[in-house]
Amino acid sequence: MVETDHDSKEFVNARHEMDALVAASMKKYEAKPNVAFSKLSELVKSMSLSKKLVGWSRKNSLWPLQFGLACCAIELMDFGAARIDAERKGYLLFRPTPRQCDVMLVAGWVTKSMVPEIKRLYEQMSEPRYVIAFGECATCGGPWWESYNIIRGIDQVLPVDVYVAGCPPRPENLFAALMKLQDKIGGKIED
Amino acid sequence: MPITRINIGPVHPSTHGVLRLVVDIDGDTVKNVEPHIGMLHRGVEKLVETRMYMQSPPYMEKLDYISPLSYDEAYVAAVEAALGVEVKERAQYVRLIQLELQRIASHLFFIGTLCNDLGQMFTTFMWAFEDRDKVLYLLQEATGSRMFYVNMRLGGVVRDLPPDFAEHALNFLDYLDKRLKEYESFIEKNPVFMERMKGVGVLSRADAIDLGVTGHVLRASGISYDVRKDKPYYVYEKLNFNVKTQQGGDNFARYKLRMEEIRESARLIRRALNTIPEGDALGMPIRLIGPSAKNKISMVSRELPRGEALMYLVADPQRPYRLSIRSPCFINLAALGHLTSDVRLADLFAIMGSLDLVVACVDR
Repeated sequence: MVETDHDSKEFVNARHEMDALVAASMKKYEAKPNVAFSKLSELVKSMSLSKKLVGWSRKNSLWPLQFGLACCAIELMDFGAARIDAERKGYLLFRPTPRQCDVMLVAGWVTKSMVPEIKRLYEQMSEPRYVIAFGECATCGGPWWESYNIIRGIDQVLPVDVYVAGCPPRPENLFAALMKLQDKIGGKIED
Repeated sequence: MPITRINIGPVHPSTHGVLRLVVDIDGDTVKNVEPHIGMLHRGVEKLVETRMYMQSPPYMEKLDYISPLSYDEAYVAAVEAALGVEVKERAQYVRLIQLELQRIASHLFFIGTLCNDLGQMFTTFMWAFEDRDKVLYLLQEATGSRMFYVNMRLGGVVRDLPPDFAEHALNFLDYLDKRLKEYESFIEKNPVFMERMKGVGVLSRADAIDLGVTGHVLRASGISYDVRKDKPYYVYEKLNFNVKTQQGGDNFARYKLRMEEIRESARLIRRALNTIPEGDALGMPIRLIGPSAKNKISMVSRELPRGEALMYLVADPQRPYRLSIRSPCFINLAALGHLTSDVRLADLFAIMGSLDLVVACVDR
């Protein structure tokens, strides 16, 4: 690790330069030094702080359910493997029991015989619970939309928060979808 | 002790899909296993009858989503046999290279999930997925997509190999050689792994023949049968393909056999890349499929990563009149009850993991 010498000549010069730049820009826009802080405190006062705090903590510790149906589950496993480190964004381990989970990822086609099982899993999850329809089959039936044993999208059975397109979507795509879900929980996106 | 009946699945981390097992246990000993299948049934064989010939490969790929390209190729080969289309020479090499890469990816997946099923080796899972990703990148380079490639056309392929592909593939194979040694030293020195693999789930030679199992389950019981050798297709014979066998018949033999098969596949790819002829590998345009195929029947058997698959196709001018698929996973699942009589309940998952079932392939 390279340590910065805070007393070196270059460093001091750079700091002075930076200070001068900041002072110049503040003068230009006539901003007072504490303007950012006062704006933030106004924002917090105007909205319910507890709601924000709960949303913030909730969105940063989401536990997905370890539950795969078909092909998309392979990409789900890839998402959980080494290349994408989802824990840095607050997605913790995949849990095999629904009672510990917040997010259900429906990855794969949903057959008529699986509908009661998926409903039961969803009901076992504790509130608040979120559903992501992962891939085309869970979104709209995908290539099997003409099949006699498939329901055309999991949204016929469960309320879906985020849809992910692709057959199968790449693991990065799932990561993006989970971040969208975070935005939704945090209140950035309206329902 | 009275016999207890417990239910495992359909959603269970170790069943690799949606398979329901009804297990009778006496204490901790498994007395009877009853697989309930059909939770992923979506009627592929019926759907294919309503599709044009070249609209079907995407459906075929979803049969076995861990090695999609293999089923794609098996179906296209069945159509080629029915319509009497010859495969171009360079295309044979390209197909072989891609199929063997797919086999390596599938086997790496097997090793990763097997160790995951045993419960204590998440590291192997991470390693195997990292290496599998590297194969997927190679295939993506060659075909343009990550998981479902749909790269087969009648008489050839959709995309020929890109110019830098040989170099990238050879680099990867060199890396894989070192990596496999690391896997072996890491896995086989683990006493828990060896305890749960050696001598568990033994399938004798005679039983393997009686149950009709295919693929690695058959070859791990000491029977040298591989479609690539016994009914050779493409240039497998030319590249001196050797069948790998193991004598143990237990979980460990099945794992070890797959390690050997990865090496054999790597050797085949190296030879194919070195001897691939120049020329045209592209398949024929879809619109050229004419009305010549009335009432022609073809039966094609292919060695998929999970065993021998049989495609029985009755052709019509525009679309298959009937397609019947003999799935290797369905056949291997039939051996589960035999393998798991009087084992400990925890070993049931080790045995299931070593059979390497894909439930979508069982249910179709």
